[in-house]
Order: sequence, then structure tokens, then C-alpha cells
Amino acid sequence: MLRRCLVIDPKDTVAVLLEKADKGDTVQTPHGEVILLEDIEFAHKVAIVDLDAQQKVLKHGHEIGYMADAAPKGSWIHNHNMKCDRGR
Amino acid sequence: MKFMGYRRADGRVGVRNHIAVIPSVFCAAKTAEMIAKGIEGGVVLRHPVGCGQVGLDFEFTARTLTAMGNHPNVAAVVVVGLGCERFKAAELYEGIRKTGKPVGMVVIQEDGGTVPTVEKGIRIGQEFARQENGRPRVECDISELTVALKCGGSDATSGLSSNPTLGAMSDLLVKKYGGSTILTELNELLSTEHMLAERAVNKEVADKIYAAVYEVEERLRSHCDDRFPGRNALMSPGNFTGGISSIVEKALGGYEKGGSAPITDVIEYSIPPEPGKKGLFLMNSDSHDGECVTGMVGCGAQIVAFTTGRGNPTGFPIAPVIKVTGNESTYKKMQDNFDFDASGVIAHGASIEDLGKDLFDLVVRVANGELTAAERLAGDELFCVGRR
Repeated sequence: MLRRCLVIDPKDTVAVLLEKADKGDTVQTPHGEVILLEDIEFAHKVAIVDLDAQQKVLKHGHEIGYMADAAPKGSWIHNHNMKCDRGR
Repeated sequence: MKFMGYRRADGRVGVRNHIAVIPSVFCAAKTAEMIAKGIEGGVVLRHPVGCGQVGLDFEFTARTLTAMGNHPNVAAVVVVGLGCERFKAAELYEGIRKTGKPVGMVVIQEDGGTVPTVEKGIRIGQEFARQENGRPRVECDISELTVALKCGGSDATSGLSSNPTLGAMSDLLVKKYGGSTILTELNELLSTEHMLAERAVNKEVADKIYAAVYEVEERLRSHCDDRFPGRNALMSPGNFTGGISSIVEKALGGYEKGGSAPITDVIEYSIPPEPGKKGLFLMNSDSHDGECVTGMVGCGAQIVAFTTGRGNPTGFPIAPVIKVTGNESTYKKMQDNFDFDASGVIAHGASIEDLGKDLFDLVVRVANGELTAAERLAGDELFCVGRR
């Protein structure tokens, strides 16, 4: 099922889900259609490009953190796989 | 672009024509309230300070109360003192009188207690009301407007829809029409200081941005112990549940309110920018809704634009507060409290740019006299003098 999402800035590597979505649902992004690899809650983030370990995560056009582990596009991005040194 | 406002003796421009009744100390609050009730158009600025204060804390009170009296949305002022307070009524009176604004003063210990003081205060206020009766608005340039930017009672929609809408409005007012906006809540902006500094008009302002942010951070740390390590302690469990993964991501939601204009200067609490200086300002304050709105109004903002995802009824006694939400169900549930619905971003993909234009149009209408929801409900909760 196609779900609505928001890519805030063209540079962003994640999109924000505008509704709760299930594994297998899809979102339309500037990088094409992305298939969700897991269930994702409203307002949570999905990778819209393949992200390598240590790669910057961009939202609002700015770096909000970096990947602790690699995650393919369609992955839920949150503090289980994303880190941020500015929070220390 | 022009709007119709009120030009004051000191040249500043107001969007309302209130007669303010300002106690110099909390002991005079009830008396001031009774005076304001006896004057059509009278508003009381009730507060809990004015005595038992020293140093910077006292300075904040003195300059904030004086800034309220001198605010361009205020036509005339009745100062109400007790007589033995630290912040003397005469000092407040003189701080307002020297700008050329009509001002009167009553002092409870000198004027015979509450009832005679109220009677005298109402007579002074009535004379001001007579003079101001029917005063016509005059044409003013939109570049003379300053809008305070604020969020409170935020939720996941704030950073995605309502705050970016404020940012788009701010960009129009500042970049297209040469007006001003004020961003603050520096504790909420921790971790974006490098982005803010990059937008400074020069190196000196960039240094001031870092200094202001670190000052706020230092003050926060001084109140913390080992249970709150680092900036992530500023995040609540609800932030993580709501999908926010880092302090930078949280801060960016609030940062969006400032749009993309260059940062003209860092200004201090309740001290207006140097005359003639315009643009996007960063005020050195943290984020208590009332305290920071009061400081921004003290810096000269005639209008406040306030986003809230969860809903919030608050208003300010002398400045219209425009309430904006990006949450569709909050808007439907609390329509009486809202002026602007930005939920289309999430509900049906509305564009931030279009919403920013619509919000700017509303700002201009409010400047011309259209009442906001908080004004219709006589909300005045946001007047809170900042403490140090």
C-alpha cells in the first residue's frame, strides 16, 4: 500500500512517515519508490537511500547524526541504528 | 507594502492602542487590576516581581516593565506603585515619560490606600481614554513590523508543518519586505549553534551566537547533576517515542521557525535592537513560554506568532498572539484557540511556501487590527517577567 511521507529538504537521506505504515508498504520519494523493510510509526524516519555505516543522516537538509551500522533503503532509522555525538 | 498602525512620539509603530496599567511591584497588582477594569481599553500587566531582587535579576524586571510601558502597542500608561518597593514607581514613570508617551502615576502608601488610589488611577486612565478615543490609524511601512517566533506545547507535527510555516512567513517579512523577526529559546536550539553561526551576517555576530548558546548551556548544566549527562538529557522519552532520534533532530524542529534569513544580531532580553537595524534577530533567552515571549515583546515585537501541536490558549496583554497548529485533530478540537491551520502539510501535502504566504497575509491583517483568538478570549498568561 502506498503511504504518505515527507522529504523536508532535497538533500535529505531520510523521509518522515506521515501515517503509520507496515512492512511491504511503499513511499514515493525523489529517489523513486521505496519499499518499507519493517513497520514504521507515524513521524518516524525511513531511509530513502542505502546508508553505509558512519554515513551522515540528513534531515531538514542538515546532519542529525550518523549510522552506527549500515542500513538499506526502506529501513526504519532511529536511535537503535543512528548515533549523534552532539548529544554528549 | 503598507499597513495601518499607530505612530508613537518616539517614532515607533504599534498595531494596538492599549492603555496599560503597570504595577511597579507585585504588592500593587490587585490595585492595578481594579484601575484597569475602570478604563475602556485598559489592560493590566500583572506580575510577581519588583522587590526583594538584586543584580541582573532586578535589571531584568526594571527593563522589562519599562519596555512594556514604552511598547508601541501601548498608547498611554498608568504606573501603580506601593511606596517602599525596590523598583520605585517613579523610576518606571520616568523611564516611560522620557520617550514622550502619556503616563501617570499613583502610589498606594501616598495616595491613601487601595480605594483612593484606584479612584485616582481610574481618573488618570479615563483622561487618557478620552484623548485616545477615536484615534485614527496611520499608514506605516511593513518593514516597521517585528514578529516574535515561538513554539510551545509542541508535538511531532510542529517541526514538520507549523514551524516551517513560521519560517516561510519570517523569510517573506524579512527578505522580501525588510521587516524583522525574533527567534529565541536557545536551550531548544543547542546543537544547531554551528548552523546558526553560519547564518550570521559577520564574524562578530557569529561569535555572539556561540557565546549566547554556551551561556544558556552553562546555566542549564549548573542546575543538573550526574543523572542528566550531556545535551541528550534535554530530550524527553516522548521525543524518542515520537520518532526524534537525536538532540540535533529535535533542535531542527524548532530551528525551522527562523526560516533561512541571515541572522542580523544577537539581542538581549527586553532590549530592542539598535534603531534602524532590521532583519532576523536571535534573542538571548531560554524557552519558558511566558518569559521568552515577554522578552521578545520587550525587544519591540508588536505581534507574536506561536505554534502549538497540542493546543495552547495563552495570550499576551498588549500584543496579539497568532496561534498556529500543524495538527489537524488539535485544530478541530480547539478551534476557538486557533488563528491558522497548517495541518495541510501532513493531511494532504500542502506546500510550506503557500502556507507561509497565507500566514504572512494573516500577520498583515492582524497588524491592521484583526483580533486574534487569544485576544477575543482576553488571554494574558504569557506576560511573565524573566528571572535570573
